[in-house]
Amino acid sequence: MKQRLKLEGRLAGHPDSRAWFTAWSPAGSLLASCGGDRAVRVWASEGTEWVCKWVLEDGHQRTVRKVAWSPCGNYLASVSFDATTCIWRKQDGGFECITTLEGHENEVKSVAWAPSGNLLATCSRDKSVWVWEVDEEDEYECVSVLNAHTQDVKHVIWHPNGELLVSGSYDNSIKLYKEEDDDWVCFDTLEGHESTVWSIAFDQNGDRLASCSDDKTLKIWKEYKPGNEQGVMCNGSNSCWKCICTLSGYHTRTVYDVSWCPNTGAIATACGDDAIRVFEEDPNSDPHQPTFSLVAHVPKAHAQDVNCVAWNPKQPGLLASCSDDGDIAIWRYEAELATGCST
Amino acid sequence: MAAGTRLENANPLVYQRSKDRPPSAREEDEAETDPIDHREIFDLIRSINDPEHPLSLEELNVVEPVRVHVNDEESTVTVAFTPTIPHCSMATLIGLSIKVKLLRSLPERFKVDVHITPGTHASEQAVNKQLADKERVAAALENTHLLEVVNQCLSGRL
Amino acid sequence: MIYNLEVNSNCALVINYRVFWFVLGVIDGKYAALDVVEALGTCLTNPEPRTRGRGVQLLSQVLQVSYSILKQKEVEVLTIFYIDRLKDHHLITSHVLQGMKFLSLSPVLPEGLAVATLKALFQEVHVQSLMQSERHSVYSIISNFMETREKELKGLGADFIFGFIQAMDGEKDPRNLLMAFQISREMVTKKYELGAFVEELFEVTSCYFPIDFTPPPNDPHGISQEELILSLRAILASTPRFAEFLLPLLIEKLDSDVQPAKVDSLQTLTACCNDYRKKEVKDFLPALWSSIRREVFQTASEKIESEGLSALQALSTCLSRSVIDSDAEDSLDSFLNNVLQDCKHHLCEPDMKLVWPSAKLLQAAASGSHRATYKITTSVLPLLLEEFNKHTQSSQRWTILGILESFIKLTHKWERDDNPLSAFKDQLCLLVFSALTDSSVQLQIVGTSTLAVLGTQQGDLLHTDTGHHAELCLSAHSAAAMAASVTMSRIHPSAFITRMVPAMTGELSTEPMEVKESRGLLKAPRQRCVQALAAISTHPDVLRHTVPVLLRHLMDIQKGSLCTEVEDAVSACRSLQLVAEQCQVAEESSEYFHQTVVPCLLGLAVRSALQGCGPSILCEEPVIAALGTVISTAYSHTHTQPACRTIARVVSLYLDGDASLLPENDLPSTFQPFQVRHDTSLLVVVLVTLSLSLRLQVGVPQRDRLLGQLLEMCCVSGHRFTYTSAAKCIAGIVNKYPLLMLLADPELGPEAADGFSLLVSDSTDVLNRASHADIRIMYRQRFFTENVPKLVQGFHSAGKDNKSNYLKALSHVMNSLPKQVLMTELPSLLTLLLEALSCSDQVVQLSTLGCLHPLLQEAPQIVSLHVDTLISKLLSLATSPTMKVRIASLQCMHAMTRLPTHVILPHKARTIRALTQPLDDKKRLVRKEAALARGEWFLLGSPGR
Repeated sequence: MKQRLKLEGRLAGHPDSRAWFTAWSPAGSLLASCGGDRAVRVWASEGTEWVCKWVLEDGHQRTVRKVAWSPCGNYLASVSFDATTCIWRKQDGGFECITTLEGHENEVKSVAWAPSGNLLATCSRDKSVWVWEVDEEDEYECVSVLNAHTQDVKHVIWHPNGELLVSGSYDNSIKLYKEEDDDWVCFDTLEGHESTVWSIAFDQNGDRLASCSDDKTLKIWKEYKPGNEQGVMCNGSNSCWKCICTLSGYHTRTVYDVSWCPNTGAIATACGDDAIRVFEEDPNSDPHQPTFSLVAHVPKAHAQDVNCVAWNPKQPGLLASCSDDGDIAIWRYEAELATGCST
Repeated sequence: MAAGTRLENANPLVYQRSKDRPPSAREEDEAETDPIDHREIFDLIRSINDPEHPLSLEELNVVEPVRVHVNDEESTVTVAFTPTIPHCSMATLIGLSIKVKLLRSLPERFKVDVHITPGTHASEQAVNKQLADKERVAAALENTHLLEVVNQCLSGRL
Repeated sequence: MIYNLEVNSNCALVINYRVFWFVLGVIDGKYAALDVVEALGTCLTNPEPRTRGRGVQLLSQVLQVSYSILKQKEVEVLTIFYIDRLKDHHLITSHVLQGMKFLSLSPVLPEGLAVATLKALFQEVHVQSLMQSERHSVYSIISNFMETREKELKGLGADFIFGFIQAMDGEKDPRNLLMAFQISREMVTKKYELGAFVEELFEVTSCYFPIDFTPPPNDPHGISQEELILSLRAILASTPRFAEFLLPLLIEKLDSDVQPAKVDSLQTLTACCNDYRKKEVKDFLPALWSSIRREVFQTASEKIESEGLSALQALSTCLSRSVIDSDAEDSLDSFLNNVLQDCKHHLCEPDMKLVWPSAKLLQAAASGSHRATYKITTSVLPLLLEEFNKHTQSSQRWTILGILESFIKLTHKWERDDNPLSAFKDQLCLLVFSALTDSSVQLQIVGTSTLAVLGTQQGDLLHTDTGHHAELCLSAHSAAAMAASVTMSRIHPSAFITRMVPAMTGELSTEPMEVKESRGLLKAPRQRCVQALAAISTHPDVLRHTVPVLLRHLMDIQKGSLCTEVEDAVSACRSLQLVAEQCQVAEESSEYFHQTVVPCLLGLAVRSALQGCGPSILCEEPVIAALGTVISTAYSHTHTQPACRTIARVVSLYLDGDASLLPENDLPSTFQPFQVRHDTSLLVVVLVTLSLSLRLQVGVPQRDRLLGQLLEMCCVSGHRFTYTSAAKCIAGIVNKYPLLMLLADPELGPEAADGFSLLVSDSTDVLNRASHADIRIMYRQRFFTENVPKLVQGFHSAGKDNKSNYLKALSHVMNSLPKQVLMTELPSLLTLLLEALSCSDQVVQLSTLGCLHPLLQEAPQIVSLHVDTLISKLLSLATSPTMKVRIASLQCMHAMTRLPTHVILPHKARTIRALTQPLDDKKRLVRKEAALARGEWFLLGSPGR
């Protein structure tokens, strides 16, 4: 396999600690990272170098597990094992913690902003997913507590058009929620993974969903709307999500993260075997039974477990990763020209 | 253990501790490379204290050399441990202590898997899943109370 | 109560949900399994087959989790229900098989139902038109029943076999094949009735032979070709009843052009020979032999060759198991005759390609049993002996001897009295000796290894003329010859005394140019001879004859009557030292050394020192040092009395020139070693070693006078070897010598610094207890208070190059002192120690670390002031190239955790990170210390410590 993932830089992101997660700002110019050192760092590129511009400390008492940018790029949410969520506002060349959201009983595992910027979702080991509403005064109010999962909720994401919330859990399932009569309800449960679902990601349009798991597989799910031609049965007016592809045999340990590139359509995974892999859908593959090929594989991408992969939203093929070794790595993925000679 | 607290398994069988490994001529030789072997791993974990008894995991037969597997080249270590009784509520804690001890003592390149000897505990699957979840392990170690107990298990005996 | 269900045919999720509740109910005992059937009633009888299928599916899922707790009645009803459902629509079959699989695991299945299930399966289901997973269920059902219902199944007779054969016929999936092979094998090994279907069972499995299977990439099932091969082989080789079908098949595949097929066939042949007897293989022997022979002769593949040889050995073993009937043909005998006929003549052509393959074939056939070995060896050996003598070229002889050696080894395998070699032992020995004296080095090497092999043979094969050995030791090149001599000298000392020693003596007095080239004496023959003499001196009787030869040799060297080199003298001394070591335990030999050898050596040294005419070889430094070592070794175990006498006479020899100790009182002039004349001064070395090896209670007579002389020599002599020796000698006598001043000397400084170690430590080479030194703590303390201030002062005033000498000396001193003594001086010393840690000398590093370690525990306040520097230096030493330094620095890192927490806590994160590297050190002992240290650092400032 031709090596199509090239290392562009390696940053000692969270030295003497673990780097848990990285997130690109919506404009793709800033990279936020967080880790076991209880800090959030914000990085920017200066010429060929990536430099740490800000260190956000004193927000959390324990590991910062994930960070998320608001769609406008002016806010950063961070969640921590200390059961809180911090909202940071970017202003005057710095970041200020404007509010701390409390409510979860224990570790908050993930956070996501809806595309509108008015809603925020968090999830926790307390098995719940919380939906928060933001008003113009930067006041946050919890509008819903969803207790659909039976275990630790690991990850939460919003659909690109915002009307759909998805969560993955230690209970091996993925749950889909929508708003109904001013409340959020779980309307579908995707089962199929045989162990913890660590992360989920939508494709560019939100038609398909990728999920990764402790069962070492990656699954692709597709939305079938009521009355679809394929005859996939739906429950009332709800869409039905069906697993259309399972990629197994590639990962040798837990897959911790998956990222679906909105620009190239490539799927990157972060794995506990220290590797980063990139998959692409085969040209001409059946949309209902698609096939994906492993197109890039960096076996020792990091010295320890890779925890996160994130495609830059604006620069096609720019990928950030981070690892238990404390490092952040920046990669350049070269999408192959569609010459039709791929195997 | 506070006085008066009832032990789950008050009278465990106590096994003999194995002898220390005498240094071999090969180990003394600068030029030789000693691969990390299962006995070396066992030596790291055998003296871990049981959270309930004033005994080591080796003395309680919770860990045994034969249940330690290591592949130095592939950097993998697998340890199976056997709770003293099938309903032992300390199983997760023991597993956590073993895992933490190995994470602290082995080169970072190692992937460490710790699980219950199959068929020896009522909640085997649940415990194994927790031990394999590094996020839960990391969070547990930030919990002062749990960390205290784990550290006590890992402290040298007074 | 359980509600009637309508299974929603559209949504599988609903089923999962309901299964969940059912299962909970069944497990809790709230419902009986039959309640579930009842609840499903309408659904199970629904006219739409898909709906019925869903009903059965649900029921099977309930069984999956509840089969082990079902009651017998429930199992019975359910089993009958499921058997009946086999007749239903094919859409349902998959779920029915699922359920049956779980029922087959039930421990309470009533008798008869296993058979009924199987009969129905065989009758109603055409297995090979099912999906893979369904077929897998069928095999699982059969396999489960075989596990628990063996007796019932055997009641089915051959119908069972027939049904199974039909079921698996045409199976293609590797997962299923593994199961099917396993079932087939159990049918054979557990003695199910095969009836008329032996050939059918063979056919239905052997059609997969040889297995050619490449797992798909990323195959999640992980089935390997090897697994399938072994599994198939296990069934094919499971019974001699397959022999008549299997052997032709193997011969056919062996004759094909496919390499893996050949290997597989040969391995399978080897496997089935375990169970086969003459009866099964007899008819196929000619064909098998010709195939194996062809493969070994022609193949370029080592794998095929070795598998071919294994198969041949297995065949030979197999034939050897058969009892020889008087009326029947001895098939082993005739088989081996064939082998001999086809191979033996190739041994006569050592230049030809087939000589080794033939030898290997013969050896493989021979290694089948003792009988086979005997037959082949007795037939081949005379031929090889004859051929060896017939051929004159070394390369040909080399080949033949090599083959011969492997045949000799072969007879090791059987510990029998009737060793086929016995009849040939004289010829063999002659042959080996002629190889050893051949001019070809290669031939000599094979000769010596053959000799070694012969030497370990049962029966005394080598009692021949040891006189040959003298020649062997001198001429043969490898250490093997020497080792052989040592062994044999223990067994035949007298032969060695009468034959070998004189030969060696002659050899030693021969000038190298006279040595005949044909002997192959290329390099240093005298040294080898001298080594040989030492090596064979394992017996007191031998020693009495060998040591005089060595001494005479030294005398000849001293007289200059031989053309010799320094190495000759050193090598003679080493040999004497070796003898001294070997005889330490034997008192009579020890006494012999004391009485004769030591005076003789001293005499030699004294005489050469006094020799006027030109420098003698014996006065060269290495020779003197070697002489000293002989004496030191000779006295290290001796008793006080003789030692006491010797030292008194040595001292009077040195001080007064009293030569009565020496064997020949004919010195050319008076011996005055302390007059600084170069050569005589060297004798001091002898005194050094002597004094060191004596017990102190012996007391050195005229001690003060001796010391005066030594001190004077030490100060006046310009010859370095002399004055350092003199200084060491003083140290040896009084544990004290003026090293301090030498520290400033750029050349001598390092040695002088080490001298401090000698003075104050228990170090191994000089003042250890084995050398009887009296180590007095008070002495050390006084030494410390007198000298340390001087050392510190010296350090500060010394130039850059010499500072390390002071540090080294200081760390040696501190290392061995009681800590109470050290504490008062500590603050001023600690800065010095920290500098010492940066010194590149590993000895300094080690002794400084050794010194620091206890301070970390005993003087935490003082050490705390330097924590930052200390951690950096220790961590950098943790990656030193020297293992001991790494270990010691890690032990210090460990000890640092005992310092006050607030002092070291700021360094915790950095230290824990830095200690990851030594965790992966290549040495286990280092890793152990690193893990201990790192573990303690983790506990710092952490709860529960």
